[in-house]
Amino acid sequence: MFFNSLSFAIFLPIVFLLYWLVFNKNKTTQNVVLIVASYYFYSCWDWRFLFLLVFSTLLDYFSAIMMENSSSDKKRKLWLWLTIGINLGFLGVFKYYDFFAQSFAELLNGFGFQTNPVLLKLILPVGISFYTFHGLSYVIDIYYKRITAERNFIDYSLFVSYFPLLVAGPIERATHLLPQVKIKRHFNFEKAKEGIYQIIWGLVKKVVIADSCATYANAVFDNYESMNSLSLILGAVYFAFQIYGDFSGYSDIALGTSKLFGIDLLKNFNYPYFSRDIAEFWRRWHISLSSWFRDYLYIPLGGSQGGMWIKVRNTFIIFLVSGFWHGANWTFIVWGLLNAIYFLPLLLQNKNRSNMGEIEMGWDLVSVKTILNILGTFTLTTIAWIFFRAKSISEAVGYIQKMVTDLHFKSEYLSNERHNFELVLLVLAFVVVEWFNRSKVEPLSGKASWVKVTLAIMALLALGVYSDYKEFIYFQF
Amino acid sequence: MKQFLIFIGKILIALLASALILDFGYTYIYSSSIGRNKVENVINTNNKKFDVIMMGSSRANNHFVSQLFIDKGYKAFNYGISGSKLQETALMLQLMINNDYEIKNLILEVDLNINSDSFSFGNQAKYMPFITTNSLVSNYYQNKLSDYNYVKYIPFYRYIKYEPQIGFREMFFSLIKRPSNSLHNYGLFPLMNEGKNMSHDLTDKTPKRNLSYELIKKTCKENNIKLIVVTTPVCENTKGIDYFRKINTIYPEILNYENSVVEDKYFSSCGHLNYEGAKLLTSKIIKDFF
Repeated sequence: MFFNSLSFAIFLPIVFLLYWLVFNKNKTTQNVVLIVASYYFYSCWDWRFLFLLVFSTLLDYFSAIMMENSSSDKKRKLWLWLTIGINLGFLGVFKYYDFFAQSFAELLNGFGFQTNPVLLKLILPVGISFYTFHGLSYVIDIYYKRITAERNFIDYSLFVSYFPLLVAGPIERATHLLPQVKIKRHFNFEKAKEGIYQIIWGLVKKVVIADSCATYANAVFDNYESMNSLSLILGAVYFAFQIYGDFSGYSDIALGTSKLFGIDLLKNFNYPYFSRDIAEFWRRWHISLSSWFRDYLYIPLGGSQGGMWIKVRNTFIIFLVSGFWHGANWTFIVWGLLNAIYFLPLLLQNKNRSNMGEIEMGWDLVSVKTILNILGTFTLTTIAWIFFRAKSISEAVGYIQKMVTDLHFKSEYLSNERHNFELVLLVLAFVVVEWFNRSKVEPLSGKASWVKVTLAIMALLALGVYSDYKEFIYFQF
Repeated sequence: MKQFLIFIGKILIALLASALILDFGYTYIYSSSIGRNKVENVINTNNKKFDVIMMGSSRANNHFVSQLFIDKGYKAFNYGISGSKLQETALMLQLMINNDYEIKNLILEVDLNINSDSFSFGNQAKYMPFITTNSLVSNYYQNKLSDYNYVKYIPFYRYIKYEPQIGFREMFFSLIKRPSNSLHNYGLFPLMNEGKNMSHDLTDKTPKRNLSYELIKKTCKENNIKLIVVTTPVCENTKGIDYFRKINTIYPEILNYENSVVEDKYFSSCGHLNYEGAKLLTSKIIKDFF
């Protein structure tokens, strides 16, 4: 069941009505409705993986209690590492085993040893990377005594399995979400209205922007060897907007859906393509993951304390792990490495926190510089996305090589039976709408909201891509 | 909560109103367009007179050179459509009759398309803008579309379902009256290249009784149209060439022109003649019938 499917359009109102009108007696009944709905939602992909979700919930719940009850630090540490080991073990088996086995075999083959690795070829349980990290943050917080262990199993289960964030985040923190599920929620019209606006805008991003861009990006990437420079540049730009529209659209729908149940989730995107440098980009893109790595990996490794070498080392570790988190492929690792390299000059000059404030624009040279910085950052990001999108590193390198050496900039007819430039206007219109609404969560609220909502609905109907159904990209992670 | 339900009600009204407005707009634009494809050209024009028209799939669209008929003094047009199955061809012929077209001869390509009673989604799409305004189209698809009621009665549903063919892009080009090449060359789409390393396998295909073909025969008979049904050539390296002989076991009246052009230099791909090959085939048909 996807957020942009008919089945979700039926599922959501049913859960909403049950939650607010039938089981609204107290927070326990509310939570039970959401847990049942969440388990049903998850089972729609593959009911067999429900056991993993249940196991992960039980493991983290009991480990946290055992950790809290432990009399010595040694035992606490034991419970922590046991939980981390089992959680990452599952992730390792399902997501990374085949990659390591194959890479190891290729390495041995390189030295002349013929090996045939045993591959498991397992289906990746949807959302496993998200709920594993979700649970890990909880047990690590317990270990460091930032929070106390949750004793109410129902509340804890909802924290792990809450359906709006279950399959692709945002990766929540116990400090943010648990307090909300521990109290009875009261219906708030304004919050629910915000939620609907966010859902509609999320759908526009996914169905209109991301899926339209996908048809063009796929046509270019799948035939990159025969494309000219213009098509390859546009293909990379289209993919940049595809992945942004896809993932931020998903996050908007998740946040909006959650608001309907009176629960706020962490903001995951903050107009990342308007970033003035790569450090700012990473404060605006997939915020819940970036902050997770910052809090649970970068800071424990020493963070920015210590010398420059430690900072550089930690930064590279963070980006490489982040790349690897996305998938078991060298392309993701190179993508992470590339971002670390982009980050390095800022780190060495101590400028990685120089663009913290809002973007101010005027008719002056500073604004021109800001725009150039934004375009520069977008260009760097787009080049990195080529590695993210390509099937292999050689394909990505070939793509970039062709892009910079072909130097033909004529219109080309793509395999999706469209000209390469046809989507530029839609992408530009989207950028303009986002730019003028960058201080808001979504552009539909505020003045003339009904006109804007109607236009968004019309865009969904008329410009949406419905024929070639595309899953959310981040579901595969 | 009441306030919220009213809010949701308003959203649904906005959705319905948007769908109705868009549906009306798209349908109006398609109903005024004649230059984008052969289907809308037939539906939106009437009283045309032809000595000969050609119909069928791409193997008609690429193979029958209308100009050669015109050079002989005949008024001719190639109504073949790439990807079209006989189901859509039968409907197009009925629409022509309905719009008072006068047709003396119909050359119908029937070969690989008689393999089954199936339909072409992409070509079916071109009829969908007219399902609410043209009773013939509506009646024709009533028992053929499993979601007929959705397509006909849910505003804008058909434009979403068939979005690649009749969605925003096509509507926009129709609105600005950007002509397509489907009506150039009197309907012929010539293929200019010479194919290399061509092969085709027909061994898993069997000609079957085809209701749409029989409907075309009936329509022609009722309207005094001389029906010339032909098969057209495939390249030399084709397995299961016996397929063309088997067609005659079901429909003996179908004339076998498969081997009328044999050399591979006349082919663009194994199933499609290039322009030179198309001229050879058309000349033979003209010689035999006109």
